[in-house]
Amino acid sequence: MKIVASVKLSPAGMFVNGNERKIAGVAEESWTKTIYSELGLNYPKFYKMDPLAKMAFLGINILQESAELAEMETEEVALIFANSSSSQATDLKFIESYDERGNPSPSLFVYTLPNILTGELAIFKKWYGENVFFINENFDASFFLDQINFYLRKGANKCLCGWVNAMDDAEECFLFLVSAEDGTITTEELTTLYKQ
Amino acid sequence: MKQLFVTYGGMITPLGSTIDAHTRALKNGQSGVTVVENSGFNQENWPLGKITTLHTENRYQELLSNLCDALIQNHGAPLFASSKTLIIVSSTKADIDALPNDTFASTRSIIETKLAPKNKPIIISNACISGVIAINTAADYLSTDEYDQCVVMGIDALSDFVVFGFQSLFALSDVPSQPFDKNRKGICIGEAAGAVIVSKAPIATSAFSVRYLGGSSSNDANHISGPSRTGEGLFRSVTNTFKRSGISPDQIDYISAHGTGTLYNDEMESIAFDRLQLTAVPLNSWKGYFGHTLGAAGIIEVLASMITMENDLLFKSIGFEETGTSCPLNVIKENTAQKVNTVLKTASGFGGGNASLILSKEV
Repeated sequence: MKIVASVKLSPAGMFVNGNERKIAGVAEESWTKTIYSELGLNYPKFYKMDPLAKMAFLGINILQESAELAEMETEEVALIFANSSSSQATDLKFIESYDERGNPSPSLFVYTLPNILTGELAIFKKWYGENVFFINENFDASFFLDQINFYLRKGANKCLCGWVNAMDDAEECFLFLVSAEDGTITTEELTTLYKQ
Repeated sequence: MKQLFVTYGGMITPLGSTIDAHTRALKNGQSGVTVVENSGFNQENWPLGKITTLHTENRYQELLSNLCDALIQNHGAPLFASSKTLIIVSSTKADIDALPNDTFASTRSIIETKLAPKNKPIIISNACISGVIAINTAADYLSTDEYDQCVVMGIDALSDFVVFGFQSLFALSDVPSQPFDKNRKGICIGEAAGAVIVSKAPIATSAFSVRYLGGSSSNDANHISGPSRTGEGLFRSVTNTFKRSGISPDQIDYISAHGTGTLYNDEMESIAFDRLQLTAVPLNSWKGYFGHTLGAAGIIEVLASMITMENDLLFKSIGFEETGTSCPLNVIKENTAQKVNTVLKTASGFGGGNASLILSKEV
């Protein structure tokens, strides 16, 4: 297997395939909106998304600049995602909606599951493949490599993997696309790409 | 794939805390769904699958702790402390009352204290299909030499968070849920904790086991909170599960469907089962017995399906009277003694997820 493309997004910057990509545009009200504008995207649903789905959506748009995602067969992409904080940022907002604002908000409630982000990616790319979302304490490269092996062996030709976290103090999104082609991925290589 | 065994681990629901208690309750047609006063955001009295014997403030921690105790009682502590054992936990909201602190921290600490595992537990949170995915993930890990068995737990507790949330979506039923029925009005939320043990060899402490033949998941790629109108993801997942299991639709004796009792979900399932040529196969939803237990549902419903297989007894789908889906299904109306060798379990959930697996008594 080999890494076809990777992207790391956080308020600290944007790294594509290991290289920093500078943002030319002006900063908007949030760093994700700044990148959305920078990429010239037009996907109104973006504004309804929670932070996890927003970051993953930006990530996939950057990935498809360097990988031929459009040509993928619909069912061959497995989505393997993990984070440490589940949907806690949105969970807190949903609690606020009924505890402080007097009405449980359905539009917040639907985002109180981490795998809504994989659902958003599946919808955006029309990917019908396998999905799984794990809660791990930290980014663990060897854990992802195990999972990729399982899914490639089960018949996926590509795995889109992601570590996407949103908490009060930290937002980060690391996506990497792996193909079944000949090659090896080391945990060091993967960890280095994540740590950018 | 190597042949895998699945055995009872433990089962805690409103109907009891042992497999024997559940077998009796299911034979008696008992439902664990009861009206819970003031459970709604505006003090509505929603019918819920509430475990009335929980007595501490933190229902999730108590449930998980009770499940760990049951596992040790049923199988002995050494199995869980073995370096060849991996624990996999399926939960949607886990210890939601821990917020703003980590809602999964108590999951790790309770398991650590009670079961002393050698390997770090793996946690899956993939909405209502988590439990089925967790069993499929166990099979993945058992395809390597690293582990001999996986203990797969499913657990979710009742909370204002979840009840208010489903209430805000107008998805709750004000009467006990009626999956696949013409008059179905929605979901009843429930709480439960259950565990199965998936292993390479039969577990010595268990008298009954079935074989795991295969499983898969598929996304609808359609909507984050509504099911596909064509049942696309469910159709694809079951098709793939048939392929991986080496089983054809005519070999299925019984389907444990997802059947939440909402208009759109049950309709979607009927369309998918029609496309899969499975409409004649006896089918039920366990939601009428336990409510929708979210991250626990896949595990609890596999356990109930294993009781079905052990007793060669098809259990009626509580709440079903009259066909209410555009593709009629063979919904079980009365408990029926019948050979049940091969079972299809399906699940569908938010995020467009669908998952399925096949169990069999004979290979």
